[in-house]
Amino acid sequence: MTTRALAGLRVVEMTEAWAGPVGASLLGDMGADVVKVESYPRSSMTRPVRPREATMPGDGPPYERDALHHQGNRNKRNVCLDIRTEGGAEVLRRLIAGADLFIEGYSSGTIERLGFGWDAVHEINPRACMISLAGWGVAGLYAGKVTLGAGLDATCGHMSVRGYPDGPMEDVRSNFHSDATGAATTVCAAITALEQRERTGEGCFTDFSQWEGLVWQFPGLLSEWTMNGRLPDRLGNRDPHIVPHGVYRASGDDEWVAVAAEDDEQWAALASALGHGEWAREPHAWATLTGRLRAREAVDRAITTATRERSAFDLAEAVQAAGAICAPVVSSSQVLMSPQLQAREWNHIIEHRWTGPAMVGGFLWQVEPDPLTWDRPTALVGEHNEEVLIELGYSAPEIADLLSAGAIADGYPQPGGAPRSPGLQRRAGDS
Amino acid sequence: MQPLVGLRVVEVGGTLAAGVATKRYSDFGARVIKVEPPTGGEIRRLAPFPDDRPHLDTGAMHMAFDTGKRSLALDLSTPSGREVLDRVLADADLLIAHQPVPELRALLRRVDSESGPCTVAITAHGLDGPYAERIENDLTLFGWSTRAHRHSVQGREPLRYAPQVGMIQVANTAGMLGLVAVWGRRQDGRRRDVEVAGVEALMGNVDSSFFLWAVNGAVQPRSAGLYRGIYPMGAYPCKDGHVLFSAARHPFFTNLCRVIGHPEAAFDPRFTDPSQRADHFEEFRAMLEPWLAVRTKYDIFHEMQEAGVMCAPVLDASEVMTDPQSVARRSYVTVAQPGPGDEPIEVTVPAAPYRMNGLHSDRWQAHAAPRLGEHTGEILDELGYSRDEQIALFRAGVTG
Repeated sequence: MTTRALAGLRVVEMTEAWAGPVGASLLGDMGADVVKVESYPRSSMTRPVRPREATMPGDGPPYERDALHHQGNRNKRNVCLDIRTEGGAEVLRRLIAGADLFIEGYSSGTIERLGFGWDAVHEINPRACMISLAGWGVAGLYAGKVTLGAGLDATCGHMSVRGYPDGPMEDVRSNFHSDATGAATTVCAAITALEQRERTGEGCFTDFSQWEGLVWQFPGLLSEWTMNGRLPDRLGNRDPHIVPHGVYRASGDDEWVAVAAEDDEQWAALASALGHGEWAREPHAWATLTGRLRAREAVDRAITTATRERSAFDLAEAVQAAGAICAPVVSSSQVLMSPQLQAREWNHIIEHRWTGPAMVGGFLWQVEPDPLTWDRPTALVGEHNEEVLIELGYSAPEIADLLSAGAIADGYPQPGGAPRSPGLQRRAGDS
Repeated sequence: MQPLVGLRVVEVGGTLAAGVATKRYSDFGARVIKVEPPTGGEIRRLAPFPDDRPHLDTGAMHMAFDTGKRSLALDLSTPSGREVLDRVLADADLLIAHQPVPELRALLRRVDSESGPCTVAITAHGLDGPYAERIENDLTLFGWSTRAHRHSVQGREPLRYAPQVGMIQVANTAGMLGLVAVWGRRQDGRRRDVEVAGVEALMGNVDSSFFLWAVNGAVQPRSAGLYRGIYPMGAYPCKDGHVLFSAARHPFFTNLCRVIGHPEAAFDPRFTDPSQRADHFEEFRAMLEPWLAVRTKYDIFHEMQEAGVMCAPVLDASEVMTDPQSVARRSYVTVAQPGPGDEPIEVTVPAAPYRMNGLHSDRWQAHAAPRLGEHTGEILDELGYSRDEQIALFRAGVTG
């Protein structure tokens, strides 16, 4: 059983893509009872009904095997509802009635139209807290606007400083940094809201703008402009005040090593590890911080000459042993060679009904005395309909009626296939 | 009253990561004591500075992330300094620490296993294992976590993101865990020790291609920004800059084709059939870019969003501040910050990204970041040190 720090906390999550789902998984990792509500008949972006690049090998429908979905949905239960039907809406009402926290991630204004805005939620359960994580926030002028993490990265000033210093904007790759950090920020917002409830006895509404969550991380970019009237440069790996600070070629084809020496002591360590102790001995021009700053290009060239002879892993070993900062730039396959991750047994093998055993990355942290466990692999669509609805007071015949009416579901229609009643797949599989 | 009033936090290390982690608390009313070396830690030494004049109290990172904290300047390398810290810890709910691992281990051993605070230790590789004592920075965390490799073009130098982004994400993870640990202890009485390894925190999260590779063996192509096999994804030029599209899939692609006056393209197998699409990227681009070239990024943003297309303007730091949404939401606030002179300086910092009970509630505000050692005397008073004892500590350089 996983960490119990959040045991007893009941969370209803209605979010898609990554930031919200991952945030809810982090709550689940810590012992919260998280029920994910999936939409029916529209399936979410990470539940594609046709196979795509991210579809994991195995049997069963593609929407159960999408890696992007599996990446963000461990340690939860799953119900699938059409909340546009009265039957589905009633299930969600009962879920909220028993919840401490309701997390929704639709574009600003959408959840109100669906009948579950803050006023409605507060009326259903005055003690429930609600977090909305619309991309640009709920309040303001951008109601209805939709985005993924890449759009938030573009509008927060980050995209304009990423990428190769000499390259065009078109060459800057999209990223999903906002999803990674937005997930953790969702948890911060959740616990802060619950702490407020502890003080007031009443649930509260939290307007979490994922965009502001990104802006929050870039005071340096902002201050270059507000304090000094400069737009920040696209730096690549360069640090304006540290030489060396970069990624250099190692011996293999397209093999790279990251190196930095932040002070004279680290520089001496690096120089000796590269076989050039003289670089750090006075009166060598590079023995000082300012001497190295003035000779940035020459220092970079000299380091490349030394690093090209050796493998990135060997370099990191030698430079770190001497006392400077150095790491191989690893691909997904190479990182498994890390003795550190092996020693910490970081990776997990996960069993899932449709994909079979799969190796996945481990948790983001460790905790004692009750360590994390992967109690629930990513749940199937509607896998816990029955279990959860029984807890909510539904009888077996009522659940069957909801299923046949399409108010709850445990699968999506296959494209090109004959229209079928929801729930068919489960019955066929179980018989 | 702010939601975290009453929470007592001690931050040790003086680093950027430690400061970022505890901003989550001080911004919502917690009492955060920032224990810093009397010479000033990393976060105070990071640029930019006003007029490019470095000063321990005016670095942008310090002024943004240390808002509302108290500063205790204390040399932890001496027994006398550590004794003061013990007293600080005895009166705390939570310790957030980021130090070299040998010092961190020694610090954690000083925490009373029954009555001491919950702890969150921030490390690069964890507290154990063969790499535990390696020193890394933001750049090398990007190297180890597969993110630099992903953020590059085949054959070219792998890149980090903007400076410190990886470290800030690790810190954000630590900040979240502190809140969870304190909550958990109130529920079940258990004191928890949490350890964040930067490499694991970055790699285990999304925005890394590791998971996809691990479950699929899929090697992600390292192409330049514009995706050619599935589009439009990435930044496209327009009249006054660039717009970013994430609009390759239905219904976004269909809507986009309609907006640019080529509704038929949405049903043209050259652009929709995965086996043909990559060969016809330039033809698609030739339809889209002339439409973009005569429109501004904000016009495109609004028109595309109105039609249900995921699209966003690419903004620089100056434009972010004047973006209508950031103005409407008051996403930035000004703080009167003690500066090097007599007069405080007015500083613009990002507001908290989440606010309780409505955005325009007056309950949330930012407070100035402390001068180095600003609260040393006050805190030592609270801990019961006599004035003579305080002078003794100061004279020996233990406090500042």
